[in-house]
Amino acid sequence: MPVDVSARIVAHEALNPDHRLLTLEAPGIARAAKPGQFLMLQVHTGRDPLLRRPMSICRVPGAGRRRIEVVYKIVGEGTRLLAQQRAGAALPALGPLGNGFRLPPAGRRGAAPRVVMIAGGIGIAIFPFLAEALRRRGVRPTLLFGARGAADLVYTAPFRARGIPIRYATEDGSRGERGYVTTILAPLLEADGPKPLLYACGPTPMLRAVGDMAVRAGAPCQLALESQMPCGIGVCLGCVVACPGDPSGPAYRRVCTEGPIFMAGEVRL
Amino acid sequence: MSPKRRAVPDLAVQVGPLRFRNPVIAASGTFGYGTEFDPYFDLEEIGGFVTKGLSLLPRRGNAPPRTCETACGMLNAIGLANVGVEAFLDEKLPALRGRDTVVIANVFGETRDEYVAVARRLNGARGVHAIELNLSCPNTEKGGIAFGVSPPLTCEVVAAVRRAAPDLPLIVKLTPNITDIAEAARAAKDGGADILSLVNTFLGMAIDLDRRRPILDNVVGGLSGPAIKPLALYMVHRVFREVPLPIIGMGGIASVEDALEFMVAGSAAVQVGTINFVEPGAPARIARGMAAWCRAHKVPAVRDLVGTLTLPGRGPAATPAG
Repeated sequence: MPVDVSARIVAHEALNPDHRLLTLEAPGIARAAKPGQFLMLQVHTGRDPLLRRPMSICRVPGAGRRRIEVVYKIVGEGTRLLAQQRAGAALPALGPLGNGFRLPPAGRRGAAPRVVMIAGGIGIAIFPFLAEALRRRGVRPTLLFGARGAADLVYTAPFRARGIPIRYATEDGSRGERGYVTTILAPLLEADGPKPLLYACGPTPMLRAVGDMAVRAGAPCQLALESQMPCGIGVCLGCVVACPGDPSGPAYRRVCTEGPIFMAGEVRL
Repeated sequence: MSPKRRAVPDLAVQVGPLRFRNPVIAASGTFGYGTEFDPYFDLEEIGGFVTKGLSLLPRRGNAPPRTCETACGMLNAIGLANVGVEAFLDEKLPALRGRDTVVIANVFGETRDEYVAVARRLNGARGVHAIELNLSCPNTEKGGIAFGVSPPLTCEVVAAVRRAAPDLPLIVKLTPNITDIAEAARAAKDGGADILSLVNTFLGMAIDLDRRRPILDNVVGGLSGPAIKPLALYMVHRVFREVPLPIIGMGGIASVEDALEFMVAGSAAVQVGTINFVEPGAPARIARGMAAWCRAHKVPAVRDLVGTLTLPGRGPAATPAG
Protein backbone atom coordinates (compact mmCIF):
# COMPACT_ATOMS: atom_id res chain seq x y z
CA MET A 1 0.00 0.00 0.00
CA PRO A 2 1.43 3.40 -0.94
CA VAL A 3 2.23 5.90 1.79
CA ASP A 4 2.51 9.70 1.70
CA VAL A 5 5.50 10.67 3.79
CA SER A 6 7.75 13.60 4.46
CA ALA A 7 11.06 12.42 2.98
CA ARG A 8 14.25 14.05 4.22
CA ILE A 9 16.88 14.78 1.61
CA VAL A 10 19.99 12.86 2.63
CA ALA A 11 22.08 13.89 -0.35
CA HIS A 12 21.55 15.86 -3.54
CA GLU A 13 24.43 15.77 -5.96
CA ALA A 14 25.07 17.01 -9.46
CA LEU A 15 25.93 14.22 -11.89
CA ASN A 16 26.62 16.90 -14.52
CA PRO A 17 25.26 20.42 -15.16
CA ASP A 18 21.66 19.30 -15.72
CA HIS A 19 21.36 15.88 -14.06
CA ARG A 20 20.93 15.25 -10.34
CA LEU A 21 21.05 12.28 -8.00
CA LEU A 22 18.66 12.75 -5.08
CA THR A 23 18.77 10.44 -2.04
CA LEU A 24 15.69 10.49 0.17
CA GLU A 25 15.13 8.98 3.59
CA ALA A 26 11.75 7.24 3.15
CA PRO A 27 11.70 3.81 4.82
CA GLY A 28 7.95 3.31 4.30
CA ILE A 29 8.36 3.63 0.55
CA ALA A 30 11.77 1.97 0.32
CA ARG A 31 10.70 -1.22 2.09
CA ALA A 32 7.69 -1.78 -0.19
CA ALA A 33 9.27 -0.65 -3.48
CA LYS A 34 9.71 -2.94 -6.50
CA PRO A 35 11.69 -2.26 -9.67
CA GLY A 36 9.68 -0.23 -12.19
CA GLN A 37 7.61 1.57 -9.59
CA PHE A 38 7.63 5.32 -9.04
CA LEU A 39 6.86 7.98 -6.52
CA MET A 40 5.09 11.32 -6.74
CA LEU A 41 7.46 13.94 -5.41
CA GLN A 42 6.47 17.44 -4.38
CA VAL A 43 9.29 19.63 -5.63
CA HIS A 44 8.71 22.61 -3.33
CA THR A 45 6.29 23.94 -0.72
CA GLY A 46 4.66 26.54 -2.98
CA ARG A 47 1.61 26.23 -5.22
CA ASP A 48 3.18 27.15 -8.55
CA PRO A 49 3.81 24.70 -10.08
CA LEU A 50 1.03 22.92 -8.25
CA LEU A 51 1.41 19.25 -9.12
CA ARG A 52 3.87 16.66 -7.88
CA ARG A 53 6.33 15.13 -10.31
CA PRO A 54 6.39 11.38 -11.02
CA MET A 55 9.91 9.97 -10.53
CA SER A 56 11.14 6.45 -11.15
CA ILE A 57 12.54 4.73 -8.09
CA CYS A 58 16.13 4.45 -9.29
CA ARG A 59 17.58 2.36 -6.49
CA VAL A 60 16.95 1.37 -2.91
CA PRO A 61 20.55 1.54 -1.69
CA GLY A 62 21.87 -0.35 1.31
CA ALA A 63 20.63 -3.40 3.16
CA GLY A 64 18.35 -1.50 5.55
CA ARG A 65 15.95 -0.40 2.78
CA ARG A 66 15.49 3.02 4.33
CA ARG A 67 16.49 5.19 1.40
CA ILE A 68 15.47 5.85 -2.17
CA GLU A 69 17.57 7.21 -4.98
CA VAL A 70 16.00 9.32 -7.70
CA VAL A 71 17.87 10.50 -10.79
CA TYR A 72 16.37 13.32 -12.81
CA LYS A 73 17.16 15.81 -15.52
CA ILE A 74 16.40 19.51 -15.09
CA VAL A 75 13.96 20.14 -17.93
CA GLY A 76 11.41 22.66 -16.66
CA GLU A 77 10.20 24.75 -13.77
CA GLY A 78 9.40 21.78 -11.50
CA THR A 79 12.78 20.09 -11.80
CA ARG A 80 14.52 23.49 -11.59
CA LEU A 81 12.85 24.11 -8.22
CA LEU A 82 13.64 20.56 -7.12
CA ALA A 83 17.31 21.10 -7.94
CA GLN A 84 17.38 24.00 -5.47
CA GLN A 85 16.38 21.77 -2.55
CA ARG A 86 19.28 21.12 -0.18
CA ALA A 87 20.20 18.14 1.98
CA GLY A 88 18.31 18.29 5.27
CA ALA A 89 15.11 19.64 3.72
CA ALA A 90 12.05 17.38 3.58
CA LEU A 91 9.77 16.84 0.59
CA PRO A 92 6.36 15.12 0.52
CA ALA A 93 6.79 11.81 -1.31
CA LEU A 94 3.98 9.40 -2.18
CA GLY A 95 4.77 5.83 -3.13
CA PRO A 96 5.55 3.22 -4.13
CA LEU A 97 3.12 3.58 -7.04
CA GLY A 98 2.43 1.64 -10.21
CA ASN A 99 2.66 -2.03 -11.16
CA GLY A 100 6.43 -2.43 -11.58
CA PHE A 101 8.33 -4.75 -13.92
CA ARG A 102 7.55 -8.42 -14.18
CA LEU A 103 10.75 -10.32 -13.48
CA PRO A 104 11.75 -13.49 -15.31
CA PRO A 105 11.58 -16.65 -13.21
CA ALA A 106 14.78 -17.33 -11.29
CA GLY A 107 16.78 -19.73 -13.48
CA ARG A 108 19.42 -22.28 -12.70
CA ARG A 109 22.94 -21.09 -13.41
CA GLY A 110 23.48 -21.29 -17.14
CA ALA A 111 19.75 -21.56 -17.86
CA ALA A 112 18.98 -17.90 -17.14
CA PRO A 113 17.15 -16.05 -19.92
CA ARG A 114 18.94 -13.41 -21.97
CA VAL A 115 17.76 -9.97 -20.86
CA VAL A 116 18.35 -6.63 -22.54
CA MET A 117 17.57 -3.31 -20.87
CA ILE A 118 17.08 -0.41 -23.29
CA ALA A 119 17.39 3.12 -21.93
CA GLY A 120 16.88 6.42 -23.74
CA GLY A 121 18.20 9.54 -22.00
CA ILE A 122 16.84 10.01 -18.50
CA GLY A 123 14.97 6.70 -18.94
CA ILE A 124 18.15 5.21 -17.45
CA ALA A 125 16.78 6.17 -14.02
CA ILE A 126 14.46 3.17 -13.85
CA PHE A 127 17.13 0.52 -14.51
CA PRO A 128 19.59 0.32 -11.60
CA PHE A 129 16.89 -1.14 -9.34
CA LEU A 130 15.85 -3.65 -12.02
CA ALA A 131 19.47 -4.61 -12.72
CA GLU A 132 20.02 -5.44 -9.05
CA ALA A 133 16.87 -7.56 -8.91
CA LEU A 134 17.90 -9.42 -12.05
CA ARG A 135 21.41 -10.06 -10.71
CA ARG A 136 19.88 -11.58 -7.57
CA ARG A 137 18.00 -13.98 -9.82
CA GLY A 138 21.19 -15.04 -11.51
CA VAL A 139 20.47 -13.03 -14.65
CA ARG A 140 23.16 -10.80 -16.08
CA PRO A 141 21.39 -8.29 -18.32
CA THR A 142 22.93 -6.19 -21.04
CA LEU A 143 22.27 -2.44 -21.06
CA LEU A 144 21.78 -0.53 -24.28
CA PHE A 145 21.96 3.17 -23.53
CA GLY A 146 21.09 5.81 -26.11
CA ALA A 147 21.02 9.60 -25.83
CA ARG A 148 21.57 12.78 -27.83
CA GLY A 149 25.18 13.05 -26.79
CA ALA A 150 27.73 11.74 -24.31
CA ALA A 151 26.69 14.36 -21.70
CA ASP A 152 23.30 12.64 -21.32
CA LEU A 153 24.80 9.22 -20.60
CA VAL A 154 24.58 9.57 -16.83
CA TYR A 155 24.62 7.28 -13.82
CA THR A 156 26.18 4.19 -15.31
CA ALA A 157 28.19 3.51 -12.13
CA PRO A 158 25.61 1.09 -10.62
CA PHE A 159 25.78 -1.07 -13.75
CA ARG A 160 29.54 -1.03 -14.03
CA ALA A 161 29.80 -1.94 -10.33
CA ARG A 162 27.80 -5.11 -11.05
CA GLY A 163 29.68 -6.08 -14.14
CA ILE A 164 26.77 -5.36 -16.47
CA PRO A 165 27.92 -4.82 -20.03
CA ILE A 166 26.85 -1.46 -21.51
CA ARG A 167 26.62 -0.48 -25.17
CA TYR A 168 26.10 3.11 -26.15
CA ALA A 169 24.48 4.96 -29.04
CA THR A 170 24.47 8.73 -29.41
CA GLU A 171 22.76 10.84 -32.04
CA ASP A 172 25.86 13.02 -32.45
CA GLY A 173 28.28 10.11 -32.35
CA SER A 174 30.09 11.50 -29.31
CA ARG A 175 30.06 8.08 -27.65
CA GLY A 176 29.43 4.57 -28.93
CA GLU A 177 27.52 3.96 -32.14
CA ARG A 178 26.22 7.00 -34.01
CA GLY A 179 22.43 6.78 -34.17
CA TYR A 180 19.54 5.70 -32.02
CA VAL A 181 19.46 2.97 -29.43
CA THR A 182 17.39 0.96 -31.92
CA THR A 183 20.49 0.87 -34.13
CA ILE A 184 22.30 -1.28 -31.57
CA LEU A 185 19.17 -3.24 -30.61
CA ALA A 186 18.44 -4.47 -34.13
CA PRO A 187 21.31 -7.03 -34.42
CA LEU A 188 20.34 -8.56 -31.05
CA LEU A 189 16.83 -9.25 -32.33
CA GLU A 190 17.96 -10.58 -35.71
CA ALA A 191 20.25 -13.23 -34.23
CA ASP A 192 19.01 -16.82 -34.38
CA GLY A 193 17.93 -18.65 -31.28
CA PRO A 194 15.63 -17.70 -28.43
CA LYS A 195 14.72 -14.03 -28.39
CA PRO A 196 15.89 -11.95 -25.42
CA LEU A 197 13.50 -10.45 -22.88
CA LEU A 198 13.41 -6.69 -23.33
CA TYR A 199 12.83 -3.89 -20.85
CA ALA A 200 12.65 -0.36 -22.26
CA CYS A 201 12.33 3.14 -20.80
CA GLY A 202 12.80 6.44 -22.61
CA PRO A 203 11.03 9.03 -24.73
CA THR A 204 7.78 7.95 -26.40
CA PRO A 205 9.18 7.85 -29.97
CA MET A 206 11.90 5.49 -28.73
CA LEU A 207 9.40 3.28 -26.93
CA ARG A 208 7.23 3.15 -30.05
CA ALA A 209 10.20 2.10 -32.19
CA VAL A 210 11.48 -0.46 -29.68
CA GLY A 211 7.99 -1.85 -29.12
CA ASP A 212 7.39 -2.26 -32.87
CA MET A 213 10.75 -4.01 -33.34
CA ALA A 214 10.05 -6.33 -30.42
CA VAL A 215 6.59 -7.28 -31.64
CA ARG A 216 7.92 -7.99 -35.15
CA ALA A 217 10.76 -10.11 -33.75
CA GLY A 218 8.52 -11.92 -31.27
CA ALA A 219 10.56 -10.76 -28.29
CA PRO A 220 8.57 -10.13 -25.10
CA CYS A 221 9.09 -6.48 -24.26
CA GLN A 222 8.04 -4.43 -21.26
CA LEU A 223 7.74 -0.70 -21.85
CA ALA A 224 7.94 1.81 -18.99
CA LEU A 225 5.72 4.74 -20.00
CA GLU A 226 5.84 8.37 -19.08
CA SER A 227 2.77 10.59 -19.08
CA GLN A 228 1.38 13.87 -17.84
CA MET A 229 0.37 12.55 -14.45
CA PRO A 230 -1.46 14.87 -12.05
CA CYS A 231 -2.34 12.44 -9.23
CA GLY A 232 -0.43 9.15 -9.60
CA ILE A 233 -3.12 7.20 -7.74
CA GLY A 234 -5.68 6.47 -10.43
CA VAL A 235 -8.32 9.08 -9.69
CA CYS A 236 -7.75 12.00 -12.06
CA LEU A 237 -7.79 9.81 -15.21
CA GLY A 238 -5.41 12.28 -16.81
CA CYS A 239 -2.48 10.00 -17.66
CA VAL A 240 -4.25 7.47 -19.87
CA VAL A 241 -2.75 5.67 -22.84
CA ALA A 242 -4.80 4.25 -25.70
CA CYS A 243 -5.00 0.50 -26.07
CA PRO A 244 -5.84 -1.08 -29.41
CA GLY A 245 -9.28 -2.38 -28.70
CA ASP A 246 -12.62 -3.15 -30.16
CA PRO A 247 -13.87 -1.45 -33.32
CA SER A 248 -16.02 1.04 -31.40
CA GLY A 249 -12.95 2.97 -30.36
CA PRO A 250 -9.90 2.88 -28.16
CA ALA A 251 -9.95 1.74 -24.57
CA TYR A 252 -7.82 3.83 -22.26
CA ARG A 253 -5.68 2.62 -19.41
CA ARG A 254 -4.17 4.65 -16.61
CA VAL A 255 -0.39 4.81 -16.81
CA CYS A 256 -0.21 5.43 -13.05
CA THR A 257 -2.12 2.40 -11.81
CA GLU A 258 -2.51 -0.06 -14.69
CA GLY A 259 1.07 0.84 -15.68
CA PRO A 260 3.55 2.40 -15.91
CA ILE A 261 4.81 -0.93 -17.27
CA PHE A 262 2.92 -2.29 -20.28
CA MET A 263 3.76 -5.08 -22.71
CA ALA A 264 4.68 -3.87 -26.21
CA GLY A 265 1.65 -4.36 -28.43
CA GLU A 266 -0.69 -3.80 -25.51
CA VAL A 267 -0.67 0.00 -25.87
CA ARG A 268 -0.78 2.37 -28.82
CA LEU A 269 1.94 4.99 -28.46
CA MET B 1 -1.88 21.82 38.05
CA SER B 2 -4.43 20.23 35.79
CA PRO B 3 -4.66 21.53 32.24
CA LYS B 4 -7.68 23.69 31.62
CA ARG B 5 -10.33 21.66 29.85
CA ARG B 6 -10.71 22.92 26.33
CA ALA B 7 -14.04 22.78 24.59
CA VAL B 8 -14.08 20.68 21.44
CA PRO B 9 -15.29 22.87 18.56
CA ASP B 10 -18.50 21.70 16.95
CA LEU B 11 -17.77 21.11 13.27
CA ALA B 12 -21.14 19.62 12.29
CA VAL B 13 -23.11 21.47 9.64
CA GLN B 14 -26.66 21.15 8.40
CA VAL B 15 -26.90 21.89 4.67
CA GLY B 16 -30.54 21.88 3.63
CA PRO B 17 -31.73 18.33 4.33
CA LEU B 18 -28.17 16.94 4.69
CA ARG B 19 -26.18 16.76 7.90
CA PHE B 20 -22.38 16.48 7.71
CA ARG B 21 -19.96 15.63 10.51
CA ASN B 22 -17.80 18.50 9.31
CA PRO B 23 -18.00 20.86 6.34
CA VAL B 24 -15.27 19.20 4.25
CA ILE B 25 -16.50 17.23 1.23
CA ALA B 26 -14.20 15.74 -1.42
CA ALA B 27 -15.22 16.95 -4.88
CA SER B 28 -16.40 14.94 -7.86
CA GLY B 29 -13.75 13.90 -10.36
CA THR B 30 -10.96 14.23 -7.83
CA PHE B 31 -11.88 11.41 -5.48
CA GLY B 32 -12.66 8.41 -7.66
CA TYR B 33 -15.35 6.31 -6.03
CA GLY B 34 -14.03 6.93 -2.51
CA THR B 35 -12.16 3.75 -1.63
CA GLU B 36 -9.12 4.85 -3.65
CA PHE B 37 -8.31 7.10 -0.70
CA ASP B 38 -8.43 4.38 1.97
CA PRO B 39 -4.60 4.23 2.15
CA TYR B 40 -4.45 7.91 3.08
CA PHE B 41 -7.22 8.61 5.58
CA ASP B 42 -10.45 7.31 7.02
CA LEU B 43 -13.50 8.48 5.05
CA GLU B 44 -15.19 9.04 8.39
CA GLU B 45 -12.79 11.91 9.08
CA ILE B 46 -14.52 14.10 6.48
CA GLY B 47 -18.05 15.26 5.96
CA GLY B 48 -18.55 13.27 2.80
CA PHE B 49 -17.49 12.89 -0.80
CA VAL B 50 -18.92 13.16 -4.29
CA THR B 51 -18.37 10.31 -6.75
CA LYS B 52 -16.94 10.65 -10.22
CA GLY B 53 -19.77 11.82 -12.52
CA LEU B 54 -22.03 8.91 -13.46
CA SER B 55 -23.69 8.46 -16.83
CA LEU B 56 -26.19 5.83 -17.92
CA LEU B 57 -23.57 3.82 -19.82
CA PRO B 58 -19.82 3.57 -19.18
CA ARG B 59 -17.75 6.22 -20.95
CA ARG B 60 -14.14 5.96 -22.06
CA GLY B 61 -13.47 9.67 -22.13
CA ASN B 62 -11.33 11.83 -24.40
CA ALA B 63 -8.10 11.01 -26.19
CA PRO B 64 -4.91 12.10 -24.41
CA PRO B 65 -3.36 14.54 -23.64
CA ARG B 66 -6.18 15.15 -21.16
CA THR B 67 -4.48 17.44 -18.68
CA CYS B 68 -2.05 20.33 -18.66
CA GLU B 69 -0.49 22.06 -15.70
CA THR B 70 -0.95 25.87 -15.67
CA ALA B 71 0.03 28.63 -13.25
CA CYS B 72 -1.20 27.57 -9.78
CA GLY B 73 -3.61 25.10 -11.33
CA MET B 74 -4.36 22.72 -14.14
CA LEU B 75 -6.62 22.19 -17.13
CA ASN B 76 -8.47 18.94 -17.63
CA ALA B 77 -10.52 17.50 -20.45
CA ILE B 78 -11.09 13.98 -19.17
CA GLY B 79 -14.33 13.69 -21.12
CA LEU B 80 -16.45 12.40 -18.24
CA ALA B 81 -14.92 8.93 -18.29
CA ASN B 82 -16.73 6.75 -15.74
CA VAL B 83 -17.89 3.21 -15.07
CA GLY B 84 -21.58 3.97 -15.64
CA VAL B 85 -24.35 3.95 -13.06
CA GLU B 86 -24.94 0.17 -13.12
CA ALA B 87 -21.30 -0.68 -12.41
CA PHE B 88 -21.28 1.98 -9.71
CA LEU B 89 -24.26 0.36 -7.99
CA ASP B 90 -22.94 -3.20 -8.41
CA GLU B 91 -19.19 -2.78 -7.91
CA LYS B 92 -18.45 0.48 -6.12
CA LEU B 93 -21.35 1.22 -3.81
CA PRO B 94 -21.25 -2.00 -1.71
CA ALA B 95 -17.79 -1.04 -0.38
CA LEU B 96 -19.19 2.31 0.77
CA ARG B 97 -22.15 1.02 2.72
CA GLY B 98 -21.53 1.10 6.43
CA ARG B 99 -19.04 3.95 6.15
CA ASP B 100 -20.25 6.74 8.35
CA THR B 101 -19.84 9.50 5.77
CA VAL B 102 -22.18 11.22 3.32
CA VAL B 103 -21.98 9.62 -0.14
CA ILE B 104 -23.13 11.93 -2.92
CA ALA B 105 -23.56 10.54 -6.42
CA ASN B 106 -22.65 12.99 -9.17
CA VAL B 107 -24.91 12.63 -12.23
CA PHE B 108 -24.68 13.88 -15.78
CA GLY B 109 -26.23 13.14 -19.13
CA GLU B 110 -26.10 14.26 -22.72
CA THR B 111 -29.88 14.57 -22.80
CA ARG B 112 -32.54 15.35 -20.25
CA ASP B 113 -33.73 11.77 -20.49
CA GLU B 114 -30.28 10.46 -19.62
CA TYR B 115 -30.15 12.63 -16.47
CA VAL B 116 -33.56 11.29 -15.54
CA ALA B 117 -32.60 7.67 -16.17
CA VAL B 118 -29.46 7.87 -14.03
CA ALA B 119 -31.27 9.69 -11.23
CA ARG B 120 -34.06 7.11 -11.26
CA ARG B 121 -31.51 4.28 -10.88
CA LEU B 122 -29.95 6.03 -7.88
CA ASN B 123 -33.20 6.87 -6.14
CA GLY B 124 -33.64 4.36 -3.35
CA ALA B 125 -30.15 2.84 -3.74
CA ARG B 126 -28.99 2.02 -0.21
CA GLY B 127 -25.83 3.94 0.62
CA VAL B 128 -26.47 6.91 -1.70
CA HIS B 129 -27.36 9.94 0.39
CA ALA B 130 -27.78 12.65 -2.24
CA ILE B 131 -27.45 13.47 -5.91
CA GLU B 132 -25.27 16.23 -7.28
CA LEU B 133 -26.21 17.26 -10.82
CA ASN B 134 -23.34 18.21 -13.09
CA LEU B 135 -24.84 20.69 -15.55
CA SER B 136 -21.58 21.31 -17.44
CA CYS B 137 -22.13 18.41 -19.83
CA PRO B 138 -22.81 19.39 -23.46
CA ASN B 139 -26.43 18.85 -24.48
CA THR B 140 -26.30 16.77 -27.65
CA GLU B 141 -29.92 17.60 -28.47
CA LYS B 142 -29.30 21.35 -28.33
CA GLY B 143 -26.17 21.71 -30.44
CA GLY B 144 -23.75 20.80 -27.66
CA ILE B 145 -24.20 23.80 -25.39
CA ALA B 146 -23.85 22.96 -21.73
CA PHE B 147 -27.17 22.62 -19.87
CA GLY B 148 -25.89 24.90 -17.15
CA VAL B 149 -25.33 27.97 -19.35
CA SER B 150 -29.04 28.19 -20.15
CA PRO B 151 -31.28 29.07 -17.18
CA PRO B 152 -34.44 27.61 -18.84
CA LEU B 153 -32.63 24.32 -19.62
CA THR B 154 -31.23 24.27 -16.09
CA CYS B 155 -34.69 24.67 -14.61
CA GLU B 156 -36.11 21.98 -16.89
CA VAL B 157 -33.49 19.32 -16.19
CA VAL B 158 -33.47 20.03 -12.44
CA ALA B 159 -37.26 19.68 -12.31
CA ALA B 160 -37.12 16.42 -14.27
CA VAL B 161 -34.48 14.95 -11.97
CA ARG B 162 -36.38 16.18 -8.92
CA ARG B 163 -39.38 14.09 -10.08
CA ALA B 164 -37.20 11.08 -11.00
CA ALA B 165 -35.45 10.92 -7.62
CA PRO B 166 -37.99 12.25 -5.12
CA ASP B 167 -36.33 10.56 -2.14
CA LEU B 168 -32.84 12.02 -2.52
CA PRO B 169 -31.66 15.50 -1.57
CA LEU B 170 -30.77 17.27 -4.80
CA ILE B 171 -27.61 19.36 -5.12
CA VAL B 172 -27.20 21.32 -8.35
CA LYS B 173 -23.61 22.09 -9.34
CA LEU B 174 -23.35 25.36 -11.21
CA THR B 175 -20.99 26.18 -14.03
CA PRO B 176 -19.15 29.50 -13.77
CA ASN B 177 -19.05 29.84 -17.57
CA ILE B 178 -22.07 32.12 -17.70
CA THR B 179 -22.53 35.88 -17.55
CA ASP B 180 -24.44 35.91 -14.27
CA ILE B 181 -24.24 32.83 -12.11
CA ALA B 182 -27.07 34.15 -9.91
CA GLU B 183 -29.48 33.58 -12.83
CA ALA B 184 -28.43 29.94 -13.07
CA ALA B 185 -28.79 29.65 -9.30
CA ARG B 186 -32.35 31.01 -9.45
CA ALA B 187 -33.20 28.62 -12.27
CA ALA B 188 -31.93 25.68 -10.22
CA LYS B 189 -33.99 26.84 -7.27
CA ASP B 190 -37.08 27.18 -9.44
CA GLY B 191 -36.51 23.64 -10.71
CA GLY B 192 -36.55 22.31 -7.16
CA ALA B 193 -32.91 22.14 -6.06
CA ASP B 194 -32.33 21.68 -2.33
CA ILE B 195 -28.71 22.84 -2.36
CA LEU B 196 -26.39 24.63 -4.78
CA SER B 197 -22.76 23.66 -5.24
CA LEU B 198 -20.44 26.08 -6.98
CA VAL B 199 -18.32 26.40 -8.93
CA ASN B 200 -17.37 23.83 -11.53
CA THR B 201 -14.23 24.47 -13.62
CA PHE B 202 -13.66 27.52 -15.82
CA LEU B 203 -13.19 26.88 -19.54
CA GLY B 204 -9.65 27.48 -20.68
CA MET B 205 -6.92 26.35 -23.02
CA ALA B 206 -3.17 26.04 -23.29
CA ILE B 207 -1.00 26.30 -26.38
CA ASP B 208 2.24 24.63 -27.36
CA LEU B 209 3.95 27.59 -28.99
CA ASP B 210 6.63 25.62 -30.82
CA ARG B 211 4.06 23.41 -32.54
CA ARG B 212 1.34 26.09 -32.59
CA ARG B 213 -1.14 23.50 -31.41
CA PRO B 214 -3.43 23.24 -28.43
CA ILE B 215 -1.91 21.09 -25.69
CA LEU B 216 -5.19 19.32 -24.90
CA ASP B 217 -6.43 16.95 -27.59
CA ASN B 218 -9.90 18.30 -26.79
CA VAL B 219 -8.55 21.86 -27.38
CA VAL B 220 -10.58 23.25 -24.45
CA GLY B 221 -10.55 22.09 -20.84
CA GLY B 222 -11.66 23.06 -17.37
CA LEU B 223 -9.35 25.15 -15.20
CA SER B 224 -9.12 24.26 -11.52
CA GLY B 225 -6.79 24.69 -8.57
CA PRO B 226 -5.72 27.66 -6.45
CA ALA B 227 -5.66 29.84 -9.59
CA ILE B 228 -9.49 30.02 -9.60
CA LYS B 229 -10.07 30.65 -5.91
CA PRO B 230 -10.79 34.41 -6.10
CA LEU B 231 -13.18 33.88 -9.03
CA ALA B 232 -15.04 31.13 -7.19
CA LEU B 233 -15.14 33.02 -3.92
CA TYR B 234 -16.79 35.99 -5.62
CA MET B 235 -19.41 33.75 -7.23
CA VAL B 236 -20.27 32.18 -3.87
CA HIS B 237 -20.56 35.67 -2.38
CA ARG B 238 -22.87 36.77 -5.18
CA VAL B 239 -25.14 33.72 -5.12
CA PHE B 240 -25.36 33.81 -1.32
CA ARG B 241 -26.73 37.37 -1.50
CA GLU B 242 -29.10 36.71 -4.39
CA VAL B 243 -30.60 33.26 -3.92
CA PRO B 244 -32.02 31.77 -0.71
CA LEU B 245 -30.62 28.23 -0.96
CA PRO B 246 -27.79 26.66 1.04
CA ILE B 247 -24.45 26.64 -0.76
CA ILE B 248 -21.58 24.18 -0.93
CA GLY B 249 -18.68 26.32 -2.12
CA MET B 250 -15.60 25.20 -3.98
CA GLY B 251 -12.83 26.40 -6.26
CA GLY B 252 -9.14 26.10 -5.50
CA ILE B 253 -9.45 25.28 -1.82
CA ALA B 254 -6.09 23.99 -0.56
CA SER B 255 -5.93 25.17 3.06
CA VAL B 256 -8.08 25.52 6.15
CA GLU B 257 -8.12 29.28 5.65
CA ASP B 258 -9.32 28.89 2.04
CA ALA B 259 -12.19 26.69 3.24
CA LEU B 260 -13.19 29.08 6.00
CA GLU B 261 -13.14 32.06 3.63
CA PHE B 262 -15.72 30.26 1.50
CA MET B 263 -17.82 29.72 4.61
CA VAL B 264 -17.60 33.36 5.61
CA ALA B 265 -18.68 34.24 2.04
CA GLY B 266 -21.79 32.12 2.54
CA SER B 267 -20.95 28.43 2.00
CA ALA B 268 -22.57 26.11 4.51
CA ALA B 269 -20.01 23.45 3.53
CA VAL B 270 -17.11 23.24 1.08
CA GLN B 271 -15.72 20.87 -1.50
CA VAL B 272 -12.04 20.19 -1.84
CA GLY B 273 -10.94 19.06 -5.29
CA THR B 274 -7.73 19.54 -7.25
CA ILE B 275 -5.58 19.58 -4.11
CA ASN B 276 -6.53 15.90 -3.66
CA PHE B 277 -4.32 15.15 -6.70
CA VAL B 278 -1.37 16.88 -5.04
CA GLU B 279 -1.93 15.57 -1.55
CA PRO B 280 -4.39 12.68 -1.13
CA GLY B 281 -4.73 13.39 2.59
CA ALA B 282 -5.76 17.01 2.01
CA PRO B 283 -9.50 16.70 2.90
CA ALA B 284 -8.68 15.13 6.28
CA ARG B 285 -5.91 17.68 6.90
CA ILE B 286 -8.34 20.53 6.23
CA ALA B 287 -11.05 19.00 8.45
CA ARG B 288 -8.57 18.57 11.32
CA GLY B 289 -7.23 22.06 10.75
CA MET B 290 -10.74 23.50 11.05
CA ALA B 291 -11.03 22.18 14.57
CA ALA B 292 -7.66 23.71 15.46
CA TRP B 293 -8.59 27.02 13.85
CA CYS B 294 -11.91 27.23 15.70
CA ARG B 295 -10.19 26.44 18.99
CA ALA B 296 -7.49 29.06 18.42
CA HIS B 297 -10.06 31.68 17.42
CA LYS B 298 -12.54 30.75 20.14
CA VAL B 299 -15.25 29.85 17.64
CA PRO B 300 -17.43 27.25 19.39
CA ALA B 301 -19.19 26.01 16.22
CA VAL B 302 -17.86 26.32 12.70
CA ARG B 303 -21.39 26.85 11.33
CA ASP B 304 -21.38 30.20 13.15
CA LEU B 305 -18.97 31.49 10.50
CA VAL B 306 -21.32 30.93 7.56
CA GLY B 307 -22.20 34.18 5.82
CA THR B 308 -20.54 36.40 8.43
CA LEU B 309 -18.75 38.55 5.86
CA THR B 310 -18.71 42.18 6.95
CA LEU B 311 -18.91 44.57 4.05
CA PRO B 312 -17.29 48.00 4.18
CA GLY B 313 -19.58 50.47 5.91
CA ARG B 314 -22.21 47.80 6.60
CA GLY B 315 -22.81 45.12 9.19
CA PRO B 316 -22.43 41.38 8.73
CA ALA B 317 -24.51 39.91 5.93
CA ALA B 318 -27.88 38.58 6.92
CA THR B 319 -28.27 34.86 6.39
CA PRO B 320 -30.85 34.34 3.66
CA ALA B 321 -31.01 30.58 4.04
CA GLY B 322 -30.24 28.08 6.78
